[in-house]
Amino acid sequence: MIHFDNVTKVYVNQNRPALDHISVDVDKGEFVFLVGPSGSGKSTFLRLVLKEERPNSGAIHVAGKDLSKLSNFKVPHLRRRIGCVFQDFRLLPNKNVYENVAFALEVIGKPRRFIRKVVPEVIELVGLEGKAHRMPDELSGGEQQRVAMARAFVNRPMILLADEPTGNIDPATSIGIMKVLDRINRTGTTVLMATHDAAIVDSMRKRVVELEDGKIVRDQSRGVYGQAY
Amino acid sequence: MRANFIFSEVWIGLRRNLTMTIAVIVTVAVGMALLGIGLMINSQVSSMTSYWSDKVELSVYLCKENSPFEPCTDKKGISEEQKTALEAVIKGMPQVEDVIFEDSATAYKNFLDNQSNNVFASFLKVEDMPESFRVKLGDPDQSQAVTEELTGQAGVSNIVNQRQLLDSYFGFMDKLQWMALSVAFAMVFAATLLIGNTVRLSAFNRRRETGIMRLVGASNVYIQLPFVLEGVIAGLIGGVLAAVMLITSKVLIFDSIQNFVPEALGWNTVAGIISGTMAIGVIICILASFITLRRYLRV
Repeated sequence: MIHFDNVTKVYVNQNRPALDHISVDVDKGEFVFLVGPSGSGKSTFLRLVLKEERPNSGAIHVAGKDLSKLSNFKVPHLRRRIGCVFQDFRLLPNKNVYENVAFALEVIGKPRRFIRKVVPEVIELVGLEGKAHRMPDELSGGEQQRVAMARAFVNRPMILLADEPTGNIDPATSIGIMKVLDRINRTGTTVLMATHDAAIVDSMRKRVVELEDGKIVRDQSRGVYGQAY
Repeated sequence: MRANFIFSEVWIGLRRNLTMTIAVIVTVAVGMALLGIGLMINSQVSSMTSYWSDKVELSVYLCKENSPFEPCTDKKGISEEQKTALEAVIKGMPQVEDVIFEDSATAYKNFLDNQSNNVFASFLKVEDMPESFRVKLGDPDQSQAVTEELTGQAGVSNIVNQRQLLDSYFGFMDKLQWMALSVAFAMVFAATLLIGNTVRLSAFNRRRETGIMRLVGASNVYIQLPFVLEGVIAGLIGGVLAAVMLITSKVLIFDSIQNFVPEALGWNTVAGIISGTMAIGVIICILASFITLRRYLRV
C-alpha cells in the first residue's frame, strides 16, 4: 500500500537530510505507528506520502502509484484515497459537525444525495451521534478530533494518515480516539500514525517503526514505544 | 462539479472583501469608460477624416470691388479676362483634379445652409460674399505647393486651405483621445494591482478552507475557480457601470456635437466598443486573478 524504496529527502538550506535512505513497506490493512523524537522525520514521511514534498532520491509508491510519475494534475485524485488527521484538528469554525464532514465530499464534487446518506453514518462511526449540529467550539478536544477523523474517513480512503492525533488530548480521551482509529483500521483501511504517546503505542501492540535523525532504527511488529533493539 | 457550492464560495468571498470589491468595481468602471471614450473619439475622428478627405479643397478667393485684402490693391476687383486667365492657370497645374467656380449667389446660399446664427445671416447680403474657385486636388498633401504658386496671381485675394482648418480640429480631438487613453491605461494598471490584492486577501481569508480542500483532494479548478470568479464578477459589474457611462456620454456629448460634424457616431459602433471594453475588463480580471493565485495559493 505504501512502499518507500531508498528514499532521501533533504530540505533546501539544510545540510542534514530529513530522511536518509529509508526503505519501508506497509501492507494493505496494516496499522503502523511511526515513532521518534521531534525532528526525526515523521512529518516528512507523511508529507512524502501525500506528495506535498518530493524526495531527492528513491522511489515512493502509494496505493499502487509511482509518485514520481504522477502528474500534478492527478495529485488531487491520490489525496482522495488518503485521509488525514492532525494534532490541531483543522476544522472550519463557521461550519457545524455535519457541514465540516460534508465539506470534504462537496469539494470533490460528490452528489448531494450521496452526501446526505454517508455523512450521518460516519458521524455515528466516530461516536458523535446526536451532535451533528454542534459547532466546533461547542465540542471538547476529543470530540473535535472525532469530527476530524469523520472528515478524513468519509470518502472511505485506502490509507489514513494521523499526525500526532492525540497530541492535544488528555490520556483518557485519547483511548477513545484510538478506539475509533482501530475501528477504521478494521474496515480494511491502512492506518499510519505518527506519535510521541508511549502509553498508546504500548497498549495497542501494533507494528512500530522508529525514526531517528532520518533513519529507521527499529521496525518491529507488535512493538512498544521505548523498547531498545 | 457543484455549481451552487462554487457560487456560495464566491458570494462569501465577495462579501468578506466588500471594500476591496467596491474599489475593484470602481477602478474597472472608470478605466473601461475612459478606454471606451478614447475609442469613441477615435472612431468619430476616423469617420470624419474619411468624410472630409473627399471634400477637402482649396478655396481661391477672388478680389471684389473695395476688397480689404492686401493683394487687391487697385480696389476694382478681378476682371473677366483675369478670371478666365486664372482659371486656365489653375486648370493647367498638374496637381489639380477639378476646378469649380463659385459665384456670390452660390456662396451666399452655402453660407445660409451651414450657418445657424440668424442674426449674422440677416445683415449679410449676396454682394458681400466673395467669388471663388474651389480647387480639388488629386493629392491633398500637395496643397502647400499649389497655394504658393497661386498666391500673387492677379485678382487673387487670399487662399484658404480647408485642410488646415480641419487639422486644428483633428489635432484637438487627437489630444483628447490620447488623454483619455493614457488615463485609461493608468486605470487598467491600477485595476490589475487592485484585483491582485483582492484575490490575495481573499486567499488569505480562506486559507483554512483551501488547506482542507487541498488535503481532501479537491481539484485545482475547484479550489481556484471561486477566486477567479470573484474577480470576473467584480470586473463584469465594473464593465456594466462603464457601459452606462459610455451610453450617457454618447447621448450627452457625442450626440450634442452632431450639429457641428457631418458623421454622427452610430449606436452600432458604441455597442461594439462597449462589448470590447467589457471583454478587456473581464480578461484583465481573469489574468490578474490567475497570476496572483499562482503566487499565493499553493495547490
